[in-house]
Amino acid sequence: MNPLQDRPEPGKRISFVLAALVHLALAAFLFLGVRWQSEPPAAVQVALVAAPPAPVRVAPPSPKPEPVPEPKPEPKPEPKPEPKPEPKPEPKPEPKPEPQPKPPEIKIPEKKPEPKKPEPKKPEPKPEPKKPEPKKPEPKPEPKKPEPKKPEPKPEPKPAPKPEPKVDRSKQIEDNRMQELLAMDAQRARESELLKQEMQSAARAGALDAYQNAIRQRVRQNIVLPPGVSGNPEATFIVDQLPDGTVMELRLKKSTGSTALDEAIERAIRKSSPLPLPTDKALFARTLELKFRPLE
Amino acid sequence: MPITQDLSILSLIAEASLLVKLVMALLAGLSFMSWYWIFRKWFSIGSARRKSMDFERSFWSGGDLNALYQSAGNDRHNTGPMERIFESGYREFSKLHAKKADHATVVDGARRAMRATYQREVDELEAHLAFLASVGSVSPYVGLFGTVWGIMNAFRGLSNVTSATLAHVAPGIAEALVATAIGLFAAIPAVVAYNRFAHDIDRLSIRLESFMEEFSNILQRQLR
Repeated sequence: MNPLQDRPEPGKRISFVLAALVHLALAAFLFLGVRWQSEPPAAVQVALVAAPPAPVRVAPPSPKPEPVPEPKPEPKPEPKPEPKPEPKPEPKPEPKPEPQPKPPEIKIPEKKPEPKKPEPKKPEPKPEPKKPEPKKPEPKPEPKKPEPKKPEPKPEPKPAPKPEPKVDRSKQIEDNRMQELLAMDAQRARESELLKQEMQSAARAGALDAYQNAIRQRVRQNIVLPPGVSGNPEATFIVDQLPDGTVMELRLKKSTGSTALDEAIERAIRKSSPLPLPTDKALFARTLELKFRPLE
Repeated sequence: MPITQDLSILSLIAEASLLVKLVMALLAGLSFMSWYWIFRKWFSIGSARRKSMDFERSFWSGGDLNALYQSAGNDRHNTGPMERIFESGYREFSKLHAKKADHATVVDGARRAMRATYQREVDELEAHLAFLASVGSVSPYVGLFGTVWGIMNAFRGLSNVTSATLAHVAPGIAEALVATAIGLFAAIPAVVAYNRFAHDIDRLSIRLESFMEEFSNILQRQLR
């Protein structure tokens, strides 16, 4: 009595079918999916047409190298002169024009006596000078030259949050000095920053040169010069590339003057694809402007 | 030796030498057999595990032992290994109990009967696993043999050519390497399946053994 004998064998047929299916799938994959060089590269049909005049293909002037160096030097020189001259010249020129139109003093006699005469009255002038401040700074500086005491009331209303303007004199002088010192410091900081950036941009320009030279070297190896070209013509091309250096689009920006030479350079650039990549990845640009002197 | 540019799999196989073709055919057969047994073992081990789990659940849910024995005997085609162990043990137990044998003899007899069934079941589960193991270990060597033979032919053909280039040997080597590829294709699934099934059977047999011990305790308790 062997209980195993009458037991049905499970899944005989289905296992057979599944095994066959696995092998069929593998065979189909091998026959259809893997074809090592079984087809020669398809011939490319090329229509030969007279080349269009080179200068017609003028590329839009959007090269990366130009905008990169420009923005850095420009914005920095500008901010420096601006903040410094502005605060200083303003108070000084003001007193000069003012002495001439002295008649305006008569118009506002009420406010001048107030700061001069009584100290207790100062709570009153405070609200007043604040409102007319933009206009009245002019009349106030006027008295400064004739009377040495008045230069101070002028600055007073400006920082004027403090109730005692006279005590502020020394403080304001100190403040002015401090501000000058601060301005000096800021200027020095800016100068050193500018220096750094100049050095950086110089290093960058060097690396950029090396990068462009590498590309030029590669292209020069691939160039086949047409006969009958003389002199040292230069062509400028704008190259759009993929991040791996594959050349996507080529535009002629400046022709050498010889269409045959332009096309020889263009073929050489296409043959050099992928172009060498810069060692510093930050220098990589999707659009490059390259100058070539094939006869150099 | 003709230099062919067409290196599709079909032409590689068709242009191989006779011995390499034989090796490829052998490997293809081995691969087919191993896949067949992979699927069969997969189904049988899976169903054995499922049925054992079902039976364990109904056994420990506190059903009457006699009722369980009846259902196991009635539906013999559809029982798992654990149920068959239970059936043989309980049959032996009731026979010996009816003969008024002493308690130690009854429990020992039942346990021996269960042990015998357990061994048969495990042997049944492990059948043909050795085939998978040997396909997994041998077929790479068989494929390598075909490859070496094919490469030997390719280089012998090269000796007749005055200007030897890589193009003269490359097709021959490619043909020869197909044999190794087929060998590896047969071996890898076989090894993976063998390891997997061996592990599954180990776990299942441990479950069966612990069930046997627990069931002998229950029988011993019933005698008192």
